[in-house]
Amino acid sequence: MPNLIIDEREIEVPKGTKVIAAAERLGIMIPRFCYHEALGSVGACRLCAVKFIEGHRKGIDMSCMVEAKDDMVVSTTHPEAVAFRKFIIECLMLNHPHDCPVCDEGGQCLLQDETVSGGHGRRRYPEKKRTYEDQDLGPFVQHEMNRCIHCFRCRRFYQDFAGYRDLGVMQIGHREYFGRFESGRLESPFSGNLIDVCPTGVYTDKPSRFKGRRWNFERGPSLCLHCSLGCNTTGNARYREMVSLEARNNKAVNGHFICDRGRFGFDFANHVDRPRTARVDKKPVTWQEGVETAARRLRHIDGQKVLCLGSERCSLEAQWSLKQMCRNLDWPNPHFFVEPEIQRKVTTAVGLLDETLAISMGELENSDFILALGVDPINEAPMLALAMRQAHRRGSTIAVVDPRPVSLPFSFSHLAVTPDHMDLCAQVLVQKAFDPRSAGNLSDEAAHVFASLPNTYTPNPDLQGRLKDLGQKLGESLKPVVVCGTDMVRPHTPGLAAHMVRFLREKVDGARLFHVLPGPNAFGAGMLTSPEEPGSVLEILETGNIEALILVEQDPFWSYPDRERLEHALKKVEFLLVLDYLPSMAVEKVQVVLPTCSHFERSSASFINHEGRLQRTSPIHRGGTPISQVSGGKHPPRTFLDHIPGGDAKAAHEVLAELYGAVSGEKEGALLNGLQDWLAEKDAPLKGLSHQKDGIRVVPEGVLEDVVFSWRKSETIPQKKGLELLLTHWTFGTEQLSAHSRPARKGERAPKLMMHPEDARRLKLADKDRIALSLDRGEVVVELEIAPNMAPGVIILPRHRKLQWQKLKEWPVMVQDDGIRKTEGPK
Amino acid sequence: MAGSQSFILHNRLEHQTMTLDEYRRTGGYQGLRELLNHEAPENIKKTVLDSGLQGRGGAGFPAGKKWQLLPDDAPHPRYIVANTDEMEPGTFKDRLLLSVNPHTVIEGMIIAGYANSAQKGYFFIRPSYQQVALKFEKALSEARAGGFLGQKILGSDFSFEIVVHRSAGRYICGEAKGLIHALQGERPHPNIEGHLTEEGLWGRPTIVNNAETLAYVPHIVRNGAQWFRDLGKHDKAPGNKIYSVCGRVRRPGVFELPFGTSLGEIIEEHAGGMLPGYEFKACLPGGASTRYLTKEFFHVEMDFESMSKIGPGHRLGTGAIMVFDHTCCLVAITLNLIQFFARESCGWCTPCREGLPYMEALLAAIARGEGEADFLPRLQEMCRHMRNAYCAFALGAASPVQGLMEDFEDEVKAHITHKKCPLEHDDPNQWPLQPMPGIEDLETGNERHPSCPI
Amino acid sequence: MMLPEDKREQLQTQILESEAPREEAINVMFALQKHYGYLSDEAVSEAAHMLGMTTLEIEELATFYDFLYREPVGTYVIHVCDSSICWMYGEETVMDYLSKTLAIAPGETTADGLFTILPVCCVGYCDHAPVMLINGKPYGPLTPDAIDSILLDIRLNHPECEEVK
Repeated sequence: MPNLIIDEREIEVPKGTKVIAAAERLGIMIPRFCYHEALGSVGACRLCAVKFIEGHRKGIDMSCMVEAKDDMVVSTTHPEAVAFRKFIIECLMLNHPHDCPVCDEGGQCLLQDETVSGGHGRRRYPEKKRTYEDQDLGPFVQHEMNRCIHCFRCRRFYQDFAGYRDLGVMQIGHREYFGRFESGRLESPFSGNLIDVCPTGVYTDKPSRFKGRRWNFERGPSLCLHCSLGCNTTGNARYREMVSLEARNNKAVNGHFICDRGRFGFDFANHVDRPRTARVDKKPVTWQEGVETAARRLRHIDGQKVLCLGSERCSLEAQWSLKQMCRNLDWPNPHFFVEPEIQRKVTTAVGLLDETLAISMGELENSDFILALGVDPINEAPMLALAMRQAHRRGSTIAVVDPRPVSLPFSFSHLAVTPDHMDLCAQVLVQKAFDPRSAGNLSDEAAHVFASLPNTYTPNPDLQGRLKDLGQKLGESLKPVVVCGTDMVRPHTPGLAAHMVRFLREKVDGARLFHVLPGPNAFGAGMLTSPEEPGSVLEILETGNIEALILVEQDPFWSYPDRERLEHALKKVEFLLVLDYLPSMAVEKVQVVLPTCSHFERSSASFINHEGRLQRTSPIHRGGTPISQVSGGKHPPRTFLDHIPGGDAKAAHEVLAELYGAVSGEKEGALLNGLQDWLAEKDAPLKGLSHQKDGIRVVPEGVLEDVVFSWRKSETIPQKKGLELLLTHWTFGTEQLSAHSRPARKGERAPKLMMHPEDARRLKLADKDRIALSLDRGEVVVELEIAPNMAPGVIILPRHRKLQWQKLKEWPVMVQDDGIRKTEGPK
Repeated sequence: MAGSQSFILHNRLEHQTMTLDEYRRTGGYQGLRELLNHEAPENIKKTVLDSGLQGRGGAGFPAGKKWQLLPDDAPHPRYIVANTDEMEPGTFKDRLLLSVNPHTVIEGMIIAGYANSAQKGYFFIRPSYQQVALKFEKALSEARAGGFLGQKILGSDFSFEIVVHRSAGRYICGEAKGLIHALQGERPHPNIEGHLTEEGLWGRPTIVNNAETLAYVPHIVRNGAQWFRDLGKHDKAPGNKIYSVCGRVRRPGVFELPFGTSLGEIIEEHAGGMLPGYEFKACLPGGASTRYLTKEFFHVEMDFESMSKIGPGHRLGTGAIMVFDHTCCLVAITLNLIQFFARESCGWCTPCREGLPYMEALLAAIARGEGEADFLPRLQEMCRHMRNAYCAFALGAASPVQGLMEDFEDEVKAHITHKKCPLEHDDPNQWPLQPMPGIEDLETGNERHPSCPI
Repeated sequence: MMLPEDKREQLQTQILESEAPREEAINVMFALQKHYGYLSDEAVSEAAHMLGMTTLEIEELATFYDFLYREPVGTYVIHVCDSSICWMYGEETVMDYLSKTLAIAPGETTADGLFTILPVCCVGYCDHAPVMLINGKPYGPLTPDAIDSILLDIRLNHPECEEVK
């Protein structure tokens, strides 16, 4: 560990640390522009110049390019270095428009900071400034090139880090221009990071343009809830409205970046139709009245006839409180999943994950072989694609087994097979990783498993060669990771994935398992769902035995594939109560609504991400109806109140506590007791539920010797007639929260039915044909898109908010040729 | 010391390209033939090192040392790159060299390939040298037909191929690392860390040499290291050098002379001195990125060592002498030079990208009589800062400016004090010109004083 | 309007024989520039397609270099060297004379689409200063008479004028 002296202060740093990073540890922020922890050092801006006195070529050099060495002596304050840095900042400001008063970066601008730090003041350049024309880069990122200081960060992020190819640097010298070939929407789903990465105001947040400066905002650390990865964010609020989100650095999870869905999906919290007051029979009432009405109804219903349904987006506090409430009131255990298959997949995934298998997204970047099973990262959990790309840049092999037309910003092996074939594909690959001659080194159990692994992918011999090559690569890897989805896969696949990784660990103990779960707190829901719980909520409702249904931040109308059945089942329930912050369909149909807060408001909340990492949000603002909505656009409002309009809403766990108190007559509160102990049981060294910087993993430690292989021998895959309809997620338009966000909606593209060219040829269909898809409960009319890189034998439909797709009676469902026909009619 | 002997240019005129037969008659490809059967590659490297051959592109780095930096166990494939970008203003020696004797460069590349166990050579040439490129391609097909290039050369196990790569025109492409990016079809910024001999073209070990440097290699191999050393004027200046002279001299052109020939001898004897009516004022000894020298320095030997001894910022560069006469306002000349550099800056690093236009602005103000007294120290400070740019381009760009500020301070001050150019030209460019003794059109190439001494 | 088949095939072969398609980027752009008269947006798209690059990636290269024209130019591009030796020898007057003779300013193209005047940095013919290139072919030392006869020569031989490949 090199020991060096910077400005007469000594510090020891890990080998390979650059001087600029070593200085940061001492609290010395050497001025910099092009250096960025995630983007590396390139030495372009020349601003981080320091004077080397010992241990390096004597004189000025760039601290971001020089590695710290033992006995090195550095001075950041030497007059030579100071004079040079002053010259550099003067150079960078030669052409700057000095338009801070109208620039959104003001107050959070690295250029402002470094100009002051460099001691630059008056402009002494006698010539005119060079100016640029701006481009329209789409709905998310504003472009103002006059402010550019040519640090190259945007190009390095966009091309090198993220792998997209439609933004770069053109022209030469001080005419250099950073932008696209022509105006047009940026293709990358990570384009919003340009806003964070740009040290000046060239790229600013377009949806929140001119809404305020950094010092106007209420800010706080938050989390993205639009998938199960749990990326860290920082939220900005003003006038009781969520204005924008920024990425927050968490080395273990998302690094320095977030995806555009996460960045722009927050606006659901500002939705004009958000339930802000308690409602009884669709009429607004006071909070007390709402709680009392609900409690009164519930008190008169036999406890066993009350069914509670939470969700994967509830906070851990809400999920726990719900469970405690049901236990205390002698109600049946709450469910958290509407569909039994999803429940099974998540509980299996969660149940089999332990400390020996779990891997964070940050650690995934160092893996050397990734097998993605039933995952479409860009559409399901975009930041996963970015992490996989970093692994790819470091030489990792990546194979994706999935029927969808998966596209990733790097080269990978795509094995486009139908869902029925995915497991077989994966098993053959794993079999090929093991040299049969070394099978003797395996434990008895593992050897038995190895013997039962299939070694040929019989349905398609062409794939066999590819699987062999990939298997060989897997066999040579030291840190392989299996990434297993929970959407496209069959119910038993998560279990299979866990056992495959356990099996791989016999050979190489760097093998890990990474799940993609269906929600930001699906993990918590999975932990709190008892394994014996009968799965199907709808079956329970259809018995007619349920008289009261409580939905906590759950909207089955959004995601349940059979709306007709759902509506019928709900008709059998006398009393429906909803606790939510979304203007969901459920909210429209029930007797009592008690509004809850979003995670941006009022109180802290905990969520457990895909790898079992418990993280907390802090409230950004108090909550209540945004001022712009209260006063009809006039500001400030002219009425004076003694309460916050629309401020009745409380956090879901607080509402449950109140409800519990009202129903049971007991003192409200006690519901959260035991949560901390329960978490501690999961082997997490918690010091209270205080905010931990990177989050803590709450999975059991796991002991390898106790491993039981539960291997499902591969069966013959049933031959099915027709095309299997697969429902899928898209980056924009299918995830419920972001679908209610105005800026995120601008990212949507029109829903399409995707089909393989072979199938299209057989059905005599062409790209862009309007199709009427006949499902059990009705038709879905949608445009066709031919995708050559998907599996034949399936058709793929996104669960898009613009489609009435919830018309399935059973799934998986095979659609016959006569169920797909060309139509001219309107949607 | 041996007398001067032109064994590269053979005193030829530009249009008198040596054919393969002519080249062979003077001993061409003999060196290659001999070493292919007998010499180990390390020995070739040692011979070139011992000869003291220094890079002729301006840096002066010993060629043999560069070759030795390529590790024997380095991975394959490996590449040899001949740099004929030659965009340094005032420099045209490689143009003559390639027009007159392309085969010596070809043989040099092949021998370099052999010595470094490389498989492929790239000939990188600037777009304004189209004629030269065509001549080179013709020579390549002659060489291939003769069995000197291609698979299993002259029956040996060594195969080598040469590809001609035409640049699209930018000064920074002449910088080795920029060149690598340009060859790879990327923007030619010089941002490569580490040595090209370890990770260069396509991430593989690469040797980049100036075309003139490679031109000497066959002769060194054939005649020996000591022979080469003995050609120069003193032992820190081994071999010959192709000097060029331009400006208002009687015989602007290219001269192959012993390395270390004095500045004065080149200008007055070989280039015939100043045109009648013109007095020598100053010159840039090695292209635009060097410092002005006045007549007092005529005795200085034109080699890397002697030139850098003159003082900080003085260097030989390409040895392309640009002569400025008494009618030239050096402020205007320097302004023209800095305009060139500012325009050609690749834009990667701040001091060059923004600093050069800054210097240009101040100099332009001085030139048109709007300069202020503090411009002098400001310009001098900026010249010093160019040292810390990303590559040596900015440092070179600052050299003439530094020279102007330090050695011609009075001329600069006169512009500031009198608010105009003291040379008082309405039109600083004479028109019509003194007709130069020489050809009117480059194509016919007739009636001209021989530009090389016999 | 795309490149003729034989030229495409030749370029495709060169691309296949190169270490990576990008290596041929400049050659492809030069060929398309010659065909379209300048490197138009259409030419950029075609180049991108042939090389497996995006239009942005082509633009990153095309706008860096001096001899790739992203705006329309005349059949004959006159590059007037403006570096110090040529400048000393009367480059400004050469520029002036050309402008007056052709009735266009530097950067513009004559109405008949024949000539464009552009400045260029040192072309390496300092011993023949002042120099201009016309479609890459060097001419110098220039006098008003020389310029007149060169331009006349070109006009007379226009369709058959041998262009540098």
